[in-house]
Amino acid sequence: MNFKHKYVFLFPGLFVLIGILIFPIIFVVRLSLSGWNSYNGLNFIGLENYIRLFTDDPRFWESFIRLSFLSVTTVTLQYVIGFALAHMVWKEIKFQRFFRVLFLIPMMTTPVIMTVIWRTFFHESLGPVNDLLQIFDVAPKWLTDPTLAKITVIIVEVWQWTPFMFLLLLAGLLSLPKEPFLAAAIDGASPIRKFIYVTFPLMAPISIGAIIIRLIEASKIMDTVYVLTSGGPGTSTETSSFYIFIKGLREFQMGYAASMSFTYLIIMIISLTVIAKVLTKLLLKD
Amino acid sequence: MNLVGENLSYKLTEELQLRKISFNFEKGKLYTILGRTLSGKTTLLKTIAGLLMPDSGSMRFEDKNFLEIPVWKRNIAMVYQQFINYPHLNVFENIAFPLKQRGLDIKKINDEVFKSLKLVGLEGYEKRKIQELSGGQQQRVSVARSLVKNAKILLLDEPLVNLDYKLREQLREEFKNIFVNGLSKESIVIFSTTDPREAMELNGEVIVLDEGRVLQVGAAKEIFENPKDLKVAAISNDPPMNILKADLGSNKIKFEDIEIDIPNHLSKLTNKNFNFGIRASDIELNDNGFEFEVELAEISGSETLLHLTRGNLKIITSIEEVMDFKIRDKVKINFKSNRAYAFDEVGNLASSPFRGGNV
Repeated sequence: MNFKHKYVFLFPGLFVLIGILIFPIIFVVRLSLSGWNSYNGLNFIGLENYIRLFTDDPRFWESFIRLSFLSVTTVTLQYVIGFALAHMVWKEIKFQRFFRVLFLIPMMTTPVIMTVIWRTFFHESLGPVNDLLQIFDVAPKWLTDPTLAKITVIIVEVWQWTPFMFLLLLAGLLSLPKEPFLAAAIDGASPIRKFIYVTFPLMAPISIGAIIIRLIEASKIMDTVYVLTSGGPGTSTETSSFYIFIKGLREFQMGYAASMSFTYLIIMIISLTVIAKVLTKLLLKD
Repeated sequence: MNLVGENLSYKLTEELQLRKISFNFEKGKLYTILGRTLSGKTTLLKTIAGLLMPDSGSMRFEDKNFLEIPVWKRNIAMVYQQFINYPHLNVFENIAFPLKQRGLDIKKINDEVFKSLKLVGLEGYEKRKIQELSGGQQQRVSVARSLVKNAKILLLDEPLVNLDYKLREQLREEFKNIFVNGLSKESIVIFSTTDPREAMELNGEVIVLDEGRVLQVGAAKEIFENPKDLKVAAISNDPPMNILKADLGSNKIKFEDIEIDIPNHLSKLTNKNFNFGIRASDIELNDNGFEFEVELAEISGSETLLHLTRGNLKIITSIEEVMDFKIRDKVKINFKSNRAYAFDEVGNLASSPFRGGNV
């Protein structure tokens, strides 16, 4: 094999990789060390952006804590509901195929459009949700109460992305060997114990993968918040990505937004690695 | 108090079904289900275990309707022909699994697990992962797991079939030991196999199963000595018994151009036409015998199997030593006619060396 041929075949992939991943990251790092505006260009200002971020911007850290809360809650709910649904259609039930497709529909719709529909649903005076709740004589402020707004975001996120979890977990369940279940029944395990001692441990590797994938995805939450509440009321549903978006693309503080993005990236890499390690320790014994 | 099944029927596919099977299994006894593949052995065991619900029929155990009890409450143990264990648990946890389901305390579980590890010869392996074990060791783990429960019904579905020759012999010996020493007198052991030798060696009560029907039930010795009909003779012998269409002459038995003297126990046969049955091991090489041509010679273990032809006659003989034959070699053989069987035209046993005369 000629030495140079390798690179010829490697080049297209490498080119794309450099173009869409490595260059942007390097550019963001460079950008974060500058104050970028229309007449100065990339003027180098050292660590000023980072100093501002770590000493003078509680809003970023608040939004980050909010993001952690939202993504952990939504992914946990998605995992529990997704596992339950997948377990339900894993067994031989009537209309199995129908349910399998039905559960996937939310994922197949466009998030922004669905969020607009949800916003209409939860509208305080015109929405059908409060219309129905009138029977009980309550009218919750779904989108304008700080706590309720968070819950609304969680509901919409869970609704939209549980199917993804469902799909991964169903694929996992279908790929499990049948034999241990035969053995477990014979060995005197009731259906509930069979789930705890056989199904769940066997599903652990797939569960970890699914949870990590969803955590990464959930941390990028942006469209739902943007359409549903625009981060409001106040900043009560503002997440990191939304805040970075505001700083960068609304206020055009590109250098500062870049420093936030890079900090965010580092924190995410570290925390997801830790979470993956902890989950592996918890769910897989070796 | 016995495990009694009546008219159990179950249809899986056209070829694989149970047809009105009845049985009466007593405690403290070993039963061997002997049958070829697709005869319904596994299906029957799964029905007893509760993994399959029969379409019709009834099953009672200890004065209870056994069919109403779900699998996990039946207190049975089962070993499958595939080595089924829990891949996510180590050897100790695998064997402890059934005890944990019962909620025994840890000390008791420990004792029981080590006792059964010792019984199957796997001491020192308790920390190993299942995937690190060889096939034979994996099967030992599942045997240990089935023994540790002290179940009232122990089902073994061809447990030795996927093991290599040496291991099979060794484990079969151990099984015999376990059945004699390791089990309580309260247990029913049901062992299924396709191998007649295995059935004979285990020396329990044999149930011959074919196409989902029970053909014959009896002690291993009885099945060997007096197979009820041609089918049983074929299933309970390996290689299958040679069956030759024969005529009864005035004082000779004739098949094709061969004539042999009528042995004593066949002298009372009344029908002129019958099926002459002789085991492969009851045909010997003899220089004064009839000449046959070797069609195929195979060496299996320490014996040689010869497939022989002479005109339209085809027979199989087994010789208790390793010999080298070439195809088309001529050999001379003699039938030990005093060990021959006679089956009537429809295939029922008419006379055997152990039961003479017209039956």
